[in-house]
Amino acid sequence: MIHVSNLRKKFDNIEALKGISFNIKQGECYGMLGPNGAGKTTIISIMSNILKPNEGEVSINGYDLKKNPLEYKKNIGVVTQEIALYNELSAYDNLLFWGSLYKVPRPELIKRIDETINLLGLIDRKNDKVKTYSGGMKRRVNIASALLHRPKVLFMDEPTVGIDPQSRNLIFEVVEKLQEDGMTIIYTTHYMEEAERLCDRIGIIDDGKIIVQGTLDELKTSGSMKETVSISFANLTDERYIRIAKDWKDNKRCDSKIHFYSMNIQSDLSKIILKCNEVGLDILHIDIKKINLETIFLNLTGNKLRDK
Amino acid sequence: MIELVKKDLKLFFVNKQDMLLTFALPIIFITLFNFVFGNMGNSGENDVGGLVHVVAGMSVMMLLFSVAGIGGSLIDEKQEGMLKKLLCAPIPPNNILYGKMVYAIIISIAQLIIMFVYAWLAFGLDIMHHLPSLALMILATAYACSGFGIVLASFAKTRQQVQGFSTIIVMVMSAVGGSMIPIFVMPELMQKIAVFTVNYWGIQGFYDIFMKSLPLTDITFLFKVFVLIGIGTLLNLIALLMFKKNILKIV
Repeated sequence: MIHVSNLRKKFDNIEALKGISFNIKQGECYGMLGPNGAGKTTIISIMSNILKPNEGEVSINGYDLKKNPLEYKKNIGVVTQEIALYNELSAYDNLLFWGSLYKVPRPELIKRIDETINLLGLIDRKNDKVKTYSGGMKRRVNIASALLHRPKVLFMDEPTVGIDPQSRNLIFEVVEKLQEDGMTIIYTTHYMEEAERLCDRIGIIDDGKIIVQGTLDELKTSGSMKETVSISFANLTDERYIRIAKDWKDNKRCDSKIHFYSMNIQSDLSKIILKCNEVGLDILHIDIKKINLETIFLNLTGNKLRDK
Repeated sequence: MIELVKKDLKLFFVNKQDMLLTFALPIIFITLFNFVFGNMGNSGENDVGGLVHVVAGMSVMMLLFSVAGIGGSLIDEKQEGMLKKLLCAPIPPNNILYGKMVYAIIISIAQLIIMFVYAWLAFGLDIMHHLPSLALMILATAYACSGFGIVLASFAKTRQQVQGFSTIIVMVMSAVGGSMIPIFVMPELMQKIAVFTVNYWGIQGFYDIFMKSLPLTDITFLFKVFVLIGIGTLLNLIALLMFKKNILKIV
């Protein structure tokens, strides 16, 4: 469906993309995660024909971006990071304009505008000028404008930035509905919970390269990351610690607390607790840290701030 | 491209400030200037030289300001992300520019028509006996000015820069080209420099129509029309080159 091969892009002397390659199947939602300046928006911009790559190929449904740009563009919808709407026009007029660029016949376009605007919960305000809308409403119109020509592939570049939880939830529901309808989606975000909820596969990008990609489960097992259970005890002595550590070597003691590390804490937790009871330890508090996308992300990209 | 022009026209009609600046302000200027300078240099009761100078001079000057605003709207679209989204749509990128040019020509024609109709209704300028020549001169002047705003936008990074550049350039061109003071009262050197301005050729063309009553086929009149078309073509070609080089350079 989507084939990206050896994508490279330089801005002056900065190499923004260093050979990005990936394939996406039809109906898949592919998430792109990465710190600021990692290259996510550059990838989306090249795939949307906003930027020209220095090297590499992109094709969708067999249409090559360089060789057949107009046919390629008919297959894509782009939800840009900026809210690209004409503030002086109504939502309806904005959608009429963006839809007409894709040569959707007028009666069909009007029908689709009504359906899309209804799906995004804006039917009551469709004739109001966009400048009177809240940020969340504008974001929803911005999404609607990319859907009117029924694209096979939708690029969504941080579509939930700066909006209220209600609007964000509605956008999630719309994305899920589009996935159900078989649309292929490429979704970039900074929010891990969004990627976990919406994406079938995730690619973590840093410094212009894809560091790792796969399903969430594949990402969890791809690294050497372990889950942690931290237990605080009322009566931890050296002798008791030695007895525990003999059976459970992968641990770390901090005063009256022991951190136990495991690849699968869910199955190992009961064994740890049984052993603690066996040596006569009184448990005060248990804290479990499971591996989630955020821990994987931070583990792979580091904690260094990216302000470029 | 038609869709782009329709969108710009829709935006123009919903924006009261644009309407006011394009149509009402020139009418106010023409009215005021005509009261002050309308009879200047007239030799008799039927001499309309002063009126023609005010209408033609003000119209071309205000037209240049209007098209500069249209160039500014292209910068707005770039800054607000609309240009990015347009590049994602299945249209050739140059159509974005052609759309702006066609829109600029339509607004310019409308502005000039309204100015001359107003001069006819308010001050009795006889446009009815010169309709074919007037129509041709309006088309040529509108075309000559249409690329001006886009050329300005190609060199600017912000709308404020477009406004700043346009104010300086339009005021200088208008002063030198005869929009403010008639060319014949200027020193000889200034008269020679004036031929490099669009104002000069537009105003001289309107003089030919109303003061010399030259027919549509007169070679002197047609020469001015060709010069204006030449200026328009040159500006639009520069606009096309600069659009690709500067405006489409998104990041």
